[in-house]
Amino acid sequence: MNTMITLVLEATRQTIVMVFLSTIFSMILGFPIGVLLHVTGSEEHGGIIPHPVFCNIISRIVNILRSFPFLILMIVLMPLSRLIIGTSIGTMATVIPLSIAAAPFVARVIESALKEVDPGVVQAAKAMGSSNWQIIYKVLIPEALPSLVSGVTLTIINLIGYSAMAGAIGGGGLGDLAIRYGYQRFRPSYMVAAVVIIIVMVELIQFVGDRISSRLIAKR
Amino acid sequence: MEIRLRNLRRNYGELHAVDDVSLDIPSNTVYGIIGRSGAGKSTLVRLVSMLEKPDNGEVYYDDKRVDDLSRDELIQERRKIGMIFQNFNLFSSRNAAENIAYPMEICHMDKAYIRQRTEELLELVGLAGRGNAAISTLSGGQKQRVAIARALAVKPAILFCDEATSALDPQTTRSILALIKEIQKKMNLTVVMITHQMEVVRDACDRVAVLDSGHIVEEGAVSDIFSAPKSAVTKDFLSSLTTVQESVVRWSKEGGHYTLRFRGSKTDEPIISTVSRSTGAIFNIRAAGVQSVEDEELGVMITDIGPDPQTAAAAVAMLRENGVTVEEEA
Repeated sequence: MNTMITLVLEATRQTIVMVFLSTIFSMILGFPIGVLLHVTGSEEHGGIIPHPVFCNIISRIVNILRSFPFLILMIVLMPLSRLIIGTSIGTMATVIPLSIAAAPFVARVIESALKEVDPGVVQAAKAMGSSNWQIIYKVLIPEALPSLVSGVTLTIINLIGYSAMAGAIGGGGLGDLAIRYGYQRFRPSYMVAAVVIIIVMVELIQFVGDRISSRLIAKR
Repeated sequence: MEIRLRNLRRNYGELHAVDDVSLDIPSNTVYGIIGRSGAGKSTLVRLVSMLEKPDNGEVYYDDKRVDDLSRDELIQERRKIGMIFQNFNLFSSRNAAENIAYPMEICHMDKAYIRQRTEELLELVGLAGRGNAAISTLSGGQKQRVAIARALAVKPAILFCDEATSALDPQTTRSILALIKEIQKKMNLTVVMITHQMEVVRDACDRVAVLDSGHIVEEGAVSDIFSAPKSAVTKDFLSSLTTVQESVVRWSKEGGHYTLRFRGSKTDEPIISTVSRSTGAIFNIRAAGVQSVEDEELGVMITDIGPDPQTAAAAVAMLRENGVTVEEEA
């Protein structure tokens, strides 16, 4: 029993580290791409620097990356982990493919959040003489903040799911625990523990995300 | 600031949204541009306010040409004009005071000055003490007041109003128009008011241009246009005004082949009786009323004239001699 608790706790810690780091890195990668997708989009949808060709190219790349099955993308990206941190196995090594795999998703989430901003408001900001940069950080992002928070929540929950899959190819964490102990060694208690913890994590993140988002809306 | 438009043209594919428009908008006036939806007025205001570049033609603010500016010059020039919109377009992420502060923030003005100026502006638009209010808690009229304060924050020389009262009820419209007129006088602004409502032109404007399918069909002082409209579009706008206007009473839906318009001193004279007595014409008055435009009285009367066409023609001729505008329905 004691070993089980130790193993479960360690796996939970690994999952939290993986999800936390890959959320940050996928945001760093995906956020600017999402903003670019939106601002270079068509003017009717609130694009402030319309550039159809550029927007189309980025959009295609994002779509291709998103249509890759996650597991395959992970395997493809493993050499990259080896290049950057010297190994392709373990929690830290999984963060890199996880972040890259989640980045296109983040880009779309950010783009659709920004699309909800009323184009009229953006037009007003433009008419007052805002620079493009000012429109992005003083208008678009603050106006879209509740949706952006919902988007981040969605990303974290997705990454919890992804990280469980990453476990299957040597990433560690709760997914790894469930497969190695629960499935391969026929110990259903491990499987149940892993699943329950994942469910609790997802519920918790969703709850907190919804709270923050609705607080932001209530203040308006 | 005076605004001059020279041969402005803007096409969207096959559509000539603005087609060869030349206008002089004098400094220190409230200038109305009226047109039906689709007449090109939104495009025109976007061209005049530097939000869009014309395909052809020039826009001047005083003697400075502004339609061919570079991106950075454009940003600087836009900071000298104010604009308000039909849907207010306020930032929901900011409260009233922060909305008003925005145009000053983007010019990197001093924080203490911004705070003081915001208070002044809230006071000016009649919202003193409401600076902390969230935008969603404000009524339509209050939102437009915040928008006006925001537009005036950088002390512009020009204020563009794009259908600024179209989303408001008649009473609120009147109070917003009164506020705009008051501010115009106080700050010596040039106000350009885009609208489809003749009431707005009547209540607020000094001069007006009538826009139809991308062309200016009529332009002049509001009192002249109201007393002697020339184009069909203008007459149409005026007739919609007279039916909704409570000051015109209509007794009968039938008949009314002639519309007579009297201006100024003529409204006081018993001109109908005089004409009737000397020509023998019989007037059957269907609707009539007096409107006040720019402190001038304008009479409108819809009537049939009988008993026979010859007498009617004589009566019409005599009315015209006496300075009454007579429109005959076909």
